[in-house]
Amino acid sequence: MMLETTSKEFDLGNLLQDLPTQIEKLHEARKLVLTDAVLLGEVPSPTFKEEDRIRLTVDRFRENGLEDPEIDEQGNASAVLPGNEGRSSILVMAHADSVFDTTTQHVLNVGPDTITGPGIADNAIGLATVVALPKLLKILGITLKDDLILLANTKSLGRGNLEGARYFLETKQRPISAGICVEGASQGRLSYAGLGTLRGEIRLEVPSNYDWNRFGSSGAVGHLNRIINQLLEIPLPKEPKTKMVLGGLTCGSTYNKIPHRGCLRFEITSEADEVIAELQQKVNDLCEQCSLENGTSVKLEVVATRPNCGIPFSHPLVKATRSIMDEIGITPQVIPSTGDLNVLIEAGYAGVTLGLTHAENIGEENETIQLPPLQAGIAQLVTLLQAIDKGICES
Amino acid sequence: MTGDNQKWLDHNTFHHGEFWDILDLVKEKEKKDLKISLCIPTLNEEKTIGKEVLILRSELMERYPLIDEFAVIDSGSNDKTLEVAESYGADTYLASEILPEVGDKRGKGENLWKAIHQLKGDIICYVDADISNIHPRFVYGLVAPLIKQAEVQYVKAFYDRPLNYSSGLRSSGGGRVTEILIRPLFSLFYPELTNIIQPLSGEYAARREVLEMIPFPIGYGVETSHLLDLYEKFGLSAFAQTDLDRRVHRNQTTNALGKMSFGILQTFINRLHSQGKIDRIPDVETFYRRFEVEDGSYNQLVQEVVEEERPPMIEIDSYRERTVSS
Repeated sequence: MMLETTSKEFDLGNLLQDLPTQIEKLHEARKLVLTDAVLLGEVPSPTFKEEDRIRLTVDRFRENGLEDPEIDEQGNASAVLPGNEGRSSILVMAHADSVFDTTTQHVLNVGPDTITGPGIADNAIGLATVVALPKLLKILGITLKDDLILLANTKSLGRGNLEGARYFLETKQRPISAGICVEGASQGRLSYAGLGTLRGEIRLEVPSNYDWNRFGSSGAVGHLNRIINQLLEIPLPKEPKTKMVLGGLTCGSTYNKIPHRGCLRFEITSEADEVIAELQQKVNDLCEQCSLENGTSVKLEVVATRPNCGIPFSHPLVKATRSIMDEIGITPQVIPSTGDLNVLIEAGYAGVTLGLTHAENIGEENETIQLPPLQAGIAQLVTLLQAIDKGICES
Repeated sequence: MTGDNQKWLDHNTFHHGEFWDILDLVKEKEKKDLKISLCIPTLNEEKTIGKEVLILRSELMERYPLIDEFAVIDSGSNDKTLEVAESYGADTYLASEILPEVGDKRGKGENLWKAIHQLKGDIICYVDADISNIHPRFVYGLVAPLIKQAEVQYVKAFYDRPLNYSSGLRSSGGGRVTEILIRPLFSLFYPELTNIIQPLSGEYAARREVLEMIPFPIGYGVETSHLLDLYEKFGLSAFAQTDLDRRVHRNQTTNALGKMSFGILQTFINRLHSQGKIDRIPDVETFYRRFEVEDGSYNQLVQEVVEEERPPMIEIDSYRERTVSS
């Protein structure tokens, strides 16, 4: 056992030694990634409408000579780079959807040190890195023993509720030893646990026969304001850590018309699933109370849920990731995931989420990624792949 | 529409989607032993040049070796155009340093003309630097008809051209100068050339043999003169055009388009004369005049626009010597 540990440490040490050379070689090779990021990123890909970007992704898989390029029933694109031995597989995935709808002008601007435009950080650059990975490995002279499964998963964000990745993992044909989720931002991100999450919409409607003379009568804005105040008064435990975010409000269309309907979007995250269930019940009660007291229709719709899950901080995969980041000079920021990693770990696989570079204005049309840190970000991914391939990350 | 015109439209109008198989184009290019050069003329294009070089070089030189040479030829930018272009791997040149013995003139046409001397390709493809949604189709869509059809000499791009407004995109039809100036003029004097859907588009590809035999206006008239001169020599059959779908670019002010039209008209009238369509050119001014209103008073603005022309490159000694030695 001792000998095995020492041998793994030795193997990891050798990989870490190669990092500076890898980063140097990736300076030129990153142009492949940037090109794919622009070509993929300029194809609109809102959640549930990812077909065009997925088609381009699978074309790229074919052009890069991968095996079994295919689009499954949920619209995910996947392909395989066969390993020398192929006894197991490593999954590298990036979500293909973005928060920007098709009416947004998807034009990316390339500067000397930045790329700016809608969705470049989340997640065009992540997807492009996954797509370019076989070429990058070739340039770096790396061959893997395990098969490498590349996945561009759909329906990840918002109401998509990770459906694409969930379907892929439920129906996949190959054994997976570990998985890496690739996000554009931010470099240093280290997620090895999925945070329990509930995303919901409170939909309020004032009926047409509403009694405007009733005590406390109000339009949708007034009622939603009251609901917001009551939500903010719900006590949240400090332990286990719990958070509520009111993320969006849609109500009214002009200055002088009282709106009859509105919608409040919110997210609850907690380290304890039972706390989430308890809070969901409270929000539900609050909606019912508001309905009955005010003669309105207030309904809670849960659009996405994720249970808490994770691998330990001491898991060899997490340890190897930390060592790689440390060697490059990246300070790890442990952030629990509410994204694709949740379904990966829920499905029983060890996995982490990594960020490739630094970004600003995420979610805005002037979303911007920094290019100088990118080669180090890609090097951490490649080295972690090698570490998994060598069995260094097995628990 | 006459039968010949329809026949030309059917046979010589393409969509870039017909040429999606770039590998097939590369094979055919190699079989025919053709070399292709790509030239981007620039003047202060630091915002868009990086993306053009990145995408075109990466896709059409490294992934698929369709382009053998890629040059940015600059008119003396005072921004970081050349620095950015170099950082993404383009060969960069100052127009003033190419053929220094003939002097330096400022204008896009000058860069295009000097590219014939500087670049080595049998086919030269010109792409403007201000395309926000650059894609490999902007090049392969233009060079493909030249690779595939020996009789085609010159391929012009056309688009559904949305302009870049802060509020989003809107379709502009064929371009304002095309619809208001060029199409009426062609309809009057060169009706066959009205088959060219966007005669002023800045993207085109041509064989060296035809580029070296025509003069190049250095300013606004270069695209118009190409069409008129090659039409006179070869007729419509030498042309082809490719639909490149959407092109997003900067919107120009009406004032700028007025000045552009003034330059194009000079070239057009000169061609009418040299091709015998009018007997003589009356004395014409080279000052473009327009008005602006400030605090209730009208001020006339006067700008000189002289459409100078470079002679056919084949008439330049150093070019002939270069051709002989190579």
